Amino acid sequence: MTAKTKDGKEVYNSEKHYHTQATDCKTNKMLYGAQVKTQYIRDTALQPYETKAESFEIMLPEGVRDVDVIVSLRYEINKPSNFIEIAKVTRKVSLDR
Amino acid sequence: MKFLKSFLVVLLVLLPAVSFGKKAQTIEELAKMYDSTRCKECHEEIYARWEKSHHARSLMGVQGGMFMTPLAMKGKTPFSPDSPDKATLDTFPCFKCHLPQALVSADDAFAVDYSKALIAQDSKRVSQLRITCIVCHNTKAIIHQLSDGEPEKNVLYGTKEVASHDDEFFTKIKKGKIMDHAIMCGQCHGLGPNLEFKNPVQCATLYGSYEHNYISKGGTQQCQECHMQDVDGFADHLIAPNWDDLAGTKEILQDTISMDVQTLGYDWLLKSKDWKPMVVVNTKITQNAGHRIPDG
Repeated sequence: MTAKTKDGKEVYNSEKHYHTQATDCKTNKMLYGAQVKTQYIRDTALQPYETKAESFEIMLPEGVRDVDVIVSLRYEINKPSNFIEIAKVTRKVSLDR
Repeated sequence: MKFLKSFLVVLLVLLPAVSFGKKAQTIEELAKMYDSTRCKECHEEIYARWEKSHHARSLMGVQGGMFMTPLAMKGKTPFSPDSPDKATLDTFPCFKCHLPQALVSADDAFAVDYSKALIAQDSKRVSQLRITCIVCHNTKAIIHQLSDGEPEKNVLYGTKEVASHDDEFFTKIKKGKIMDHAIMCGQCHGLGPNLEFKNPVQCATLYGSYEHNYISKGGTQQCQECHMQDVDGFADHLIAPNWDDLAGTKEILQDTISMDVQTLGYDWLLKSKDWKPMVVVNTKITQNAGHRIPDG
């Protein structure tokens, strides 16, 4: 999720990751690879019949009253640069009426 | 002399049986044993869909990677042998699901051949090994083997009985008791860590998620009802998603996962006369699958 000013300057950036996370139980280092993973230590994946709700609070820099908010929901395949964009929502948000 | 003649006759009669039970020692031998190419003569539509599936390239990973390569490389994993020549079937715990026929029809010489192909990154040879029709419709078709016996050699198992099957080897079709149940898929799309190995292995946990986080919440559908829906009158053996088809997979993900976004801009009064310019973005993501996403 990013927020940008009218002239394209990024004023906020945040990511949430939804997936299982495992170690080999010998250290606290998260590992990928079936041949070394032993146990999930955390599961933030999307679960059936559940909704993942997030609330991002963006404190804007002094003088900024309008931003474009871009929320992109992506499915990453093997590495962050290889993804399918499932949804992308752009909203103009202004503090002034 | 008479005894010798009898012995020769007996030996000649026995030889074909012994040959039949011979274990595969090379990639090509195992691929040939489980080759399902002839199935497409009568089941063209089903075969064409299967050929695009991950089952048809079960050793090639997502988008073409030979994911078992580290297992063949010295020191890369706890299972890795000192050299490809020393590989055994135990070197490759992934065979349990990615090549189950190796465990019943190949021996350690096959593991050596496969290791060498991995080290050489010989994708042409490795990609011959697949989860073919025979693997699901025979090798993995019976799970109650103590009560129901092992899969019969000349029988394929499907969702219905067929009296006669026009094939030189598989001459009968019997109704498999689990073919339309989630556990058929759950044999490989697993429960959690596989603790039967000398080092644990944890790959797919989809079936565990289905059992404990879908059924437990009142879900009633089987894997096949979503992933093998009828296409032109046939159960879809693509068993989507196909991660090499990004457009098709995107469509499935968009049907499955939805996101709602709400925004608000206001001046937040943190303390007296100290307003802070604030934007709040609320997101809600829901999915309608019978298992966690992502999993495999």
